[in-house]
Amino acid sequence: MTLFFVALALVLAGGLAARYSGALFRLLVGAGCAVGLVPAVAVLAGGAPRRMSVPGHVPGGPWVIGIDPLSAWFLLVVFGVGAATALYGVSYLDRGRPSARASLEHLLLSFLLVSLALVVTAAAAVPFLMAWELMAIWAYLLLVYESESLAVRRAGLLYLIVTHTATLALFALFALWGMPASDLSFGALAAAGPALPNGGAAVLALALFAFGLKAGVVPLHFWLPDAHAAAPSHVSAVFSGVMIKTGIYGLLRVLLLLGGAPAWWGWTVLCLGVVSGVLGVLWALAQHDLKRLLAYHSVENIGIILLGIGAGALGLTYHHPVVALLGFAGAALHTLNHALFKSLLFLAAGALIQAAGSRDIEHLGGLARRMPLTWIAFLSGSIAIVGLPPLNGFVSEWVTFQALLAGGLLGGPIRLEALAVVGLALVGALALACFAKVCGIVFLGQPRSPDAWAAAEAGGGMLAPLFLLVLACGFIGLAPAVAVGSAVRVASSFTPVGGEAARHLAAAARLAGWVSAGAVLLVALVALGRSRSSLRRRRQPTWRCGYAYAEPRMQYSASSFAAPLIAAYQPMSGVQVERTLTSFRSHPTDLVVSGGVRPLWRGLRWVVERLRPIQHGRLGLYLSYVVVTVILLLLMAR
Amino acid sequence: MSGMPLGSLVLVLLLAPLLPGVATRTRALLTGRRGAPVRQLYSDLAKLWRKGVVYSTSTTWIFRLAPVVVLVTAILAACLLPLDGREAVVSFSGDLIAFAALLALGRFFLVLAGLDTGSSFEGMGASREVTFASFAEPALFLCFIALVRASGSLSLTGMLGGPLADAWPSAAPSLLMVAAALFAVLLAENSRVPVDDPATHLELTMIHEVIVLDHSGPDLALILYGGALKLALFGALLVGVLIPRANLAPAASLALLALGLVVVAALVGVVESVMARLRLDRVPQFLVAASALAFFAVVLLLW
Repeated sequence: MTLFFVALALVLAGGLAARYSGALFRLLVGAGCAVGLVPAVAVLAGGAPRRMSVPGHVPGGPWVIGIDPLSAWFLLVVFGVGAATALYGVSYLDRGRPSARASLEHLLLSFLLVSLALVVTAAAAVPFLMAWELMAIWAYLLLVYESESLAVRRAGLLYLIVTHTATLALFALFALWGMPASDLSFGALAAAGPALPNGGAAVLALALFAFGLKAGVVPLHFWLPDAHAAAPSHVSAVFSGVMIKTGIYGLLRVLLLLGGAPAWWGWTVLCLGVVSGVLGVLWALAQHDLKRLLAYHSVENIGIILLGIGAGALGLTYHHPVVALLGFAGAALHTLNHALFKSLLFLAAGALIQAAGSRDIEHLGGLARRMPLTWIAFLSGSIAIVGLPPLNGFVSEWVTFQALLAGGLLGGPIRLEALAVVGLALVGALALACFAKVCGIVFLGQPRSPDAWAAAEAGGGMLAPLFLLVLACGFIGLAPAVAVGSAVRVASSFTPVGGEAARHLAAAARLAGWVSAGAVLLVALVALGRSRSSLRRRRQPTWRCGYAYAEPRMQYSASSFAAPLIAAYQPMSGVQVERTLTSFRSHPTDLVVSGGVRPLWRGLRWVVERLRPIQHGRLGLYLSYVVVTVILLLLMAR
Repeated sequence: MSGMPLGSLVLVLLLAPLLPGVATRTRALLTGRRGAPVRQLYSDLAKLWRKGVVYSTSTTWIFRLAPVVVLVTAILAACLLPLDGREAVVSFSGDLIAFAALLALGRFFLVLAGLDTGSSFEGMGASREVTFASFAEPALFLCFIALVRASGSLSLTGMLGGPLADAWPSAAPSLLMVAAALFAVLLAENSRVPVDDPATHLELTMIHEVIVLDHSGPDLALILYGGALKLALFGALLVGVLIPRANLAPAASLALLALGLVVVAALVGVVESVMARLRLDRVPQFLVAASALAFFAVVLLLW
């Protein structure tokens, strides 16, 4: 535990030092994250869980902070991605000359990282809620960095409302759960689990709402694309890679404390997983704003993680420990993997947006020649997020697929979870389409705007963190046995399963890793052989259908690329198409925002308008309200 | 009796270019022409391999790497299939996911290479390729669910290399539906009629052919060979489902595989001569129908 607090202190010190020196900020935060990884890795490698209580009498009963395998796993995410984004942020915001505003942003980022680390290690309700609320506030302040833009302020406000709705639901959750418990530490809550009415139905439903809101599960995702697109890119990386994962952490923690869930909960999570996955990627396909597109992919990947959690919960419910193990291991692994490749994609996107001066995919193009290293990083992230070998996304999707298929081998209701495989397959194919669009239109072909022509490679301060993340993705992809083994350790805190299943999975993972490594090696060998062959090579312009004048505007556009898919999946894709004789344009809309949130908001406003008469602005009237309320309370409490 | 996974892999690698020839020849014979010789693709490959190559000025290393990725992923996917009817070269739990993912990786690079040229035609083809793949992939996985359920195994070797023979008597209707759905997926994944027409030369209506429009020489040869191998893989999958060969002598098993592949290719040719290519917006319906068929198979097996 000492090392953990040393790490937090280093990160905080780094944040405070950002005013004076960007290099010092990098050094201290980098060192802090590295130190913080030590206890996490030690616990995951089989070390004893660490815990400590805050001494003395504190409100809300003992304040416990501890690192068990589940916390340790999420600490990997916090410190791993945190280090990369903090290193990147200095070059990204300062652009050569540090400003007071940028150093404030660095300070807030270090605060956010500390709060995130505390959220996933708090082992009692009160410190958890405190860390949770702090996290929400730092995140809001980070988000409104470019507060001169109306869109940013709106996204910030929406985020603030949503995150407090989630906090409110968490207050209700812990209040309900605390009633039968002796105190509010997680240990006491776990002991009180069986005493909850209806098998904890209210607690589980509240958890699904509050943590689902944080994680961005469809239909509770509506705040997420705005917030992630509005924040500076390295902050988006922390949001998408780490912060929404606290929702996943919360779901897993509640499930772990309750020791299982009724069948309806598992099925709900599984269905939400399919819906989030498919709709998330479908809506991503329609986006033209690169950062919004990536944000919708977070919705998709949260769906994939939920598929794992759903399979795991159902495995617990129906007493099939192997399915539970595979499901939770898949969910844990995909959480880490998504953190790595999504922050990689956001950071690479930030680099190219800064270089080319636009987030609109339709204005980019040809960046592969201008930013070759950023392109390699972005391509690696794309291969990973689509779930293709040889990178890490494949490994976690492979485990999740197996959890679902293994359920299909069994008897009883759990066999139906095999049908979710179709959803996962569809998500994979659509994600491939979406990233083919992004990579192809943004990086390949010819630039579609003068700014994109003039783009130049990002500096080393931004590229180094990118390639750290690429290395992490490659390591998990090529040597999956290590990561799968650790994920299995996390999963086995949910279900005490024999080593047989774990060994079987590790052996299979090793072979899958060999296939990936074989693919890399063979491609490298053949490509090398071909480049050395004495081939006659000529260069000619692409055939333009007989037109001599090769205009970049003649290239396929992102709208056209996505059009057949969007048409095929209407009305789910929710896109408005504008077609004239000479032009084609598509406008993405969010079905949940247009169909659910806006009407709800209007209804709420209507109700509030009716309440307006009680607001007069006269002090005497307000004092009488207070008196009446106190009298009513006294009467009720009698 | 042990199988001979490597021997059968070599056989399939050698036999693959024969299959498009068989399909084309069947189509020619059924439409009253003599047609190109069955070994046409071998000659084409040999000729392309000796030629030089022209690269578009707008292309990058992706364009040169893609043909290699297409070839390597197809070969590795072949290593995961139990081609001799008993065991694959590499087999592990969940290898069926790796099989699909490897082929998807090849597709990803092929599509990127198409977009690398900056040509609208290739963009069009790329867009169509990923659209139809998004319908073919769920159909393929529905077939896999049915096979997993029927055989009780999570690996291709476990699925096709034995237990399926015991499942046939009880699950024949489901397995027949799976075979039909797999055949539809085969037609779509290999750009055959009714999804795509390899014989057409009107770029606006093509899918696969148009993505490789700018590839030439040995690059094109790699892609053509990779395509033929992919046809052989789906054919072998189909043969594996229809004719469990775990109890046959290795030689007989290999002979049956070769025969089965030729019959599948001929069937592709028959389909091409009796029906026209579907209008592009009808293709999803064709693949959804295949998915529905596989879905019914899954439902029958789950209940």
